[in-house]
Amino acid sequence: MFKIVNKQILATHVKRLDVIAPNIARKVLPGQFVSISPEEGDERIPLSVVDFDRDRGHISLIFQERGVTTKKLGALQLGEEIFSILGPLGKPATIEKVGLVVCIATGVGTAKILPICRAYKRVGNKVIGIIGARTKRALMLEPQIRLSCNKIYITTEDGSYERKGLASDILKQILEEYDPDVVYAIGSEEMMRSTCEMTKKGGIKTFVHLNPIMVDCLGMCASCRVKVGDKIVLACMEGPEFDGHKVDFDEFIKRKKALEEFGECCKHKLTSSPKKSESGIFMRFVSGFLKGQQ
Amino acid sequence: MDIDIPGFIRSLRESDITEAYAKLREKTPLPGICGRLCSAPCEKACILKEKGAAIAIRSLERFATDFGRQRNLRRSVNKGKRIRIAIVGSGPCGLAAAWMLARRGYEVIIFEAFDKPGGVLRYGVPEFRLPKKVLDEQIADIKIIGVKIETNFFVGKTASLDELRKDNFSAILLAMGAGIPKLRDIPGANLGGVYYGEEFLMRVNLMKANLFSQYIPSFGIGEKVIVLGAGNTAMDCARAAVRFRRKVTLVFRRPEDEMFVRPEERQYGKEEGVHIESMVRMVEILGDANNFVKGAKCIRLDYAASSNKGKWELVPVPGSEFILEADTVIIAAGHRPNSLMGMVSDDQIFLELNDDGTIYIDKDTGMSSLSAVFAAGNVVTGPGPLIQAIASGIDTAEKIDKYLT
Repeated sequence: MFKIVNKQILATHVKRLDVIAPNIARKVLPGQFVSISPEEGDERIPLSVVDFDRDRGHISLIFQERGVTTKKLGALQLGEEIFSILGPLGKPATIEKVGLVVCIATGVGTAKILPICRAYKRVGNKVIGIIGARTKRALMLEPQIRLSCNKIYITTEDGSYERKGLASDILKQILEEYDPDVVYAIGSEEMMRSTCEMTKKGGIKTFVHLNPIMVDCLGMCASCRVKVGDKIVLACMEGPEFDGHKVDFDEFIKRKKALEEFGECCKHKLTSSPKKSESGIFMRFVSGFLKGQQ
Repeated sequence: MDIDIPGFIRSLRESDITEAYAKLREKTPLPGICGRLCSAPCEKACILKEKGAAIAIRSLERFATDFGRQRNLRRSVNKGKRIRIAIVGSGPCGLAAAWMLARRGYEVIIFEAFDKPGGVLRYGVPEFRLPKKVLDEQIADIKIIGVKIETNFFVGKTASLDELRKDNFSAILLAMGAGIPKLRDIPGANLGGVYYGEEFLMRVNLMKANLFSQYIPSFGIGEKVIVLGAGNTAMDCARAAVRFRRKVTLVFRRPEDEMFVRPEERQYGKEEGVHIESMVRMVEILGDANNFVKGAKCIRLDYAASSNKGKWELVPVPGSEFILEADTVIIAAGHRPNSLMGMVSDDQIFLELNDDGTIYIDKDTGMSSLSAVFAAGNVVTGPGPLIQAIASGIDTAEKIDKYLT
């Protein structure tokens, strides 16, 4: 059982929880994630570890409340305990001193990229951050990101804060002005795909984070299989970081969309099922399960 | 395994069930589980088979456990030796080894990556073959002799193997099993709606969906399900899907009576409504415009004399392709050993693996290429029967005992 010692609301439907997890805090590195299950019998979802305190044994998790499990996590209070957290999972991010690193993130990806920006800066790189949010309300972790980057560009889609536009537009400008050594992109699949297309021309090393559906997060069920290069690998074991130019984004997006739509159509089927009182809960459960990631 | 079979059957005949259970418990740690899942090589070897039918030894074992098991056992900890042994994996092999070592007086800690112990017994075998209540009772019977199980501990990630070695463990036993799916490169295997057997069973077992009558599955299973495979995993998936009131077709290459399941399981499956298509190879999984599975193209196989050696082998019958409609396909056609720890952990040490992924061990000592690190069970032999994994765990435990004295 893992006790919650801090809870914050960062943006609309985005919450942060700090939990006591000494075994994980001891070993976790930027880029790794945990598999978390709020109550016994709940599904396990992967969440990136955004911050960690090795001395106190705490880890910080930030997530968006989209599905049943994330909403359940968001409803927990200070002092309550989470049933199961397993970690640190995944391969840690590749952090090296290369010179100039551009970190671009949208939405909840902002939280995921924070430890990576910090790590790159700490080993002596110059870090340019590009953060995209839908509105000012949806923007999170601004002071922390500012501190972890040498230069930062924030855009909002509706123009309610700083620049108006998409993060990828800013990236285009940056790529023309500067010559980065590494580009790190975490956000929606479409954003990561277009980032990789932009950097391919210049041959700039690009990393992305893939978050497919995961069930056991241990490498035993193969639900997180993704195509990288010509091999099928498991994102929970080899990822979540991958070389962006080798990732088959089209297949990834197709599979993810197909699974989400399946969840929707199952939801409709369940409404016509004979079970009465439970079907309401489980309707949400089905759609929530497949969307129940950050 | 050395169980006193005639002895415990005699006790049952004399209506002394507790005595029968005690006799079983001397030699086997998990009679309630073997009594349900074992492939019963003892029955195959029974001499009465020639006169009619073998004695139903497995069912007798189950009966003796269900009714002879003592509840409220006193916690007995025999820490005679004060030597710590770590076991990685709380499946049948790890549990059996822990039981044997704890009886000899060692301090045993099992490290389990999942949040509850059991391994495939919990996350692979569905409720109707092994009720979780029975599993919990059997595990409690092992914990009560002093075995500690630390869950949510993924050796290789939460702590590396190297860290364990330095942490005052005199020996480490690797018993991670062979529960990873063999990835098949059937075209279309990555379409939406295609699950591997392990994933399907894990979802069924993880999310209380094992209480079939009460809960609607919280993940998507289509109306028509195809299961590919001829082993226990495939049969479990098929029978689980049937309990969700789906139309299930079980597809595999071999002839029906060569399936790797017990004949009763096959019969139960058929009675429950699983439709069997034997001697069929799945050629391709077809998807619709949304990249979701809509069916599978299959071809019938039949025996033909092969060109060399004159042996008969199964070859596709030309022109016999047919399409099975489905909105879910479950691939349960093979497992691989779970020796991921050796490759994925950030240790500088390397565990030597054989070509097929199993951990290399010395036949006599049971030790791997690292000193004081042993391995047993399916992670050494590859996928195999339950009783073999248990026997391997007990056997290697004795080898560890010999090494440490």
